[in-house]
Amino acid sequence: MSLVFALAAAALFGTGAYLLLDRDLVRVVFGVVLISQAAVLTLVASGLTRGAAPIYPLSEGTVSDPLSQAMALTAIVIGLAVTALLLVLVLRVVQAYRSPELAELAAYEAEREARLERVHDREHAEEEAAAR
Amino acid sequence: MTALALSLVVPWGAGLVLTLLDGRRPLVGWLAVAALAANLVALVALAASVLPDGSVTATTGNWPAGVGIALRADALGVLFALLSSLALLASTVHEVLEGVRERTFPGVVVLLAAGLTGVFLTGDLFNFYVFFELAMTAGYLLATYGGGRRELGAALVFTTVNLLGTFIFLLSVAGVYHVTGTLEMSGIAARMDDVDANAALMLAVGFFVAFSVKLGLFPFHFWLPTVYTGARPAVAAILSGGLANIGAYGLLRFGGELLPEELDLAAGALIAIGSASILYGGVLAVSRRSASEMLAYSAIGQVGYVLVAIGVGGPVGFAAAILYTVVNALNKTLLFLTAQMRGAIVGAAFALGALSVAGVPPAAGFVGKLELFRATADSPALLALLLLGSALSFVYAFQTYQYDFWRGERRGRHSTVVQQGVIAALALLVLAAGVWPEPLLALSNDAAELLAGGDR
Repeated sequence: MSLVFALAAAALFGTGAYLLLDRDLVRVVFGVVLISQAAVLTLVASGLTRGAAPIYPLSEGTVSDPLSQAMALTAIVIGLAVTALLLVLVLRVVQAYRSPELAELAAYEAEREARLERVHDREHAEEEAAAR
Repeated sequence: MTALALSLVVPWGAGLVLTLLDGRRPLVGWLAVAALAANLVALVALAASVLPDGSVTATTGNWPAGVGIALRADALGVLFALLSSLALLASTVHEVLEGVRERTFPGVVVLLAAGLTGVFLTGDLFNFYVFFELAMTAGYLLATYGGGRRELGAALVFTTVNLLGTFIFLLSVAGVYHVTGTLEMSGIAARMDDVDANAALMLAVGFFVAFSVKLGLFPFHFWLPTVYTGARPAVAAILSGGLANIGAYGLLRFGGELLPEELDLAAGALIAIGSASILYGGVLAVSRRSASEMLAYSAIGQVGYVLVAIGVGGPVGFAAAILYTVVNALNKTLLFLTAQMRGAIVGAAFALGALSVAGVPPAAGFVGKLELFRATADSPALLALLLLGSALSFVYAFQTYQYDFWRGERRGRHSTVVQQGVIAALALLVLAAGVWPEPLLALSNDAAELLAGGDR
C-alpha cells in the first residue's frame, strides 16, 4: 500500500514539476497545485496506523491515525488559499503585461537591463573623455 | 507565559482587524506601528523571562502536554523573533511616513509579524509549517506592493519558487512524522538516533532545500535579485531583514537540534555551497551600479557566511552563524531603507551600514566577521575565502557609496526628518552593537549552546 502511495505522490510531483517549468502562467499554477497535492498525499500516507475511521465511539481493532489526517486537512485548506492567491496574482500579471506568457516577463526584464547597461556605458565613456 | 501568548495574539488579532481597514489612511498605518511595537514589547518581556532561566513552554488551549500544540520560547527563538520584529517595525514606520500606497499593506505587515513570531516560538513541527506559510503568504502579498509591472512580475516569481520550497518542506514534515511518530521538536531530536540513516538524510536534504530557497543561497538564489530590486525599499527591507531570518533559523534549528548527525555528514557540502554563495554574490555585487541591485547580490553573498559557519558547526560555529545573521539582518534593513533617500544623515548611515557589511570596526559587522574568523581559525583556505569575501564587500559597498553620495548621482525625494531619524536610530544600533558587543555575543553563545547538544 505504501508503494502505491509513494508512486502516486511521485507521479503527482513529477507532473507538477513539469508543468511548473512551462511558459504558460496558468500551467505554472496547475503545477503548483499538483505539487501541493503530492504533499497532501504524502501526509495522508505518513499515518502510522491504518484501520477504521477515528470517530468516537471507537470501534474494535485498529483505528487509522487521526493526526496525519488532521495535517492533511490543514494542508488542503492552506493549499486552497495559496492557489487562490496565485491565480489572482497571475490575473494581475496578465492584465499588466497583456500576455499569459512567462517569456513576456523575461523580455521586459532583459530590456530594462539593457537600457541600464547603455546608460552606464554612456556615463563611463563621458567620464573617460573628461579624464582625458 | 503571558508574554508568550501576548506576543502571538496581539499581532494576529490586530492584523485581522487592520486588513479590513483602509491602510492608506495614516491613522491605520500608525495603528499597525502600535501593534508591531506591542509585539516587540511583549517579546522583550518574554526575553527578560527566558534568558535568565532557560526556556518557557506552554501548551495551547489548556490541553494536557503531548496532546495540545506546544509553544516553546528559548534563547534562539526569542533572539530571532526580536530581530525580525525590530526590522518590521523600522520598515513600517518608514513606509507610513512615506505614505502607504495600498490599503492592505499595514494589516499584512502585522500578520507577517504574527507568522514570524509563531515560527520562532513554536515547539511543534506542523505548527511551524502553518506559521511558516502564514509568514510567507504575507510576504507574497508584500512583494506585489506598488502594483507596477516590475513588482507583479517579481512577486509571481517569488511566490512560485517559494511555494515549491514550502511544499518540499511539507514533504519532509510528513516524512519526519512517519519515521519518528511525533511532531514535537524535542521528541524528534531524541528519537532521530533510531531512524534509518538514509531516510534521515533524505529528510535533511528536503529541509535544507526549503530553507536555502528562503535564504537565497547560491544555487537557489535565482528569484532573489528580481524581487529585492523590484520591490519598494521598505518591502525589500522587510523581506531581507525579517522574512529571510526564517531560512537561517530553520537551518540552525533543524540542522543543529533535530538532525545533528546529518549536519555533520553534510558539513563539507554546506561549506562548499556557502563559499560559492560568498564569491558569486560578491563578484556580481561589484558589477552593479544601483544601490538596490548591489544590496540584492550582497544579500546572496552575506548568507553564504552564515552557511559556512553552520557547516563548521560546534558551539563556536553556531554562535558565529547566529551573530552574523543578526548583524546581517540589521545591515540589510538599514541599507535597503536608505536606498531611495538623500541627504547628509542618510549618507552617514549608509557609510556605517557599508562599514558593517565589509566588517570594519567600529560597526557591528566587525564583531560578526571576528566570530566567523574565530570559528574557521583551523582552516587557512576558509580564512582566505572570508578575507576575499570581505574585500569584495568592501569594494561593492563603497563603490556604491562613491557613486551615490560623493558624486551625488542618487535621485530621490528629500525625506522627512522623522524618516531620517529612523535611519539614524538603526545606524546607531549597528554602531552600538559594534562598540559594545557583549550582550549580543552572550545571547548568541547562549543560543548556540542550546543547539550544540547543551540540553537535549
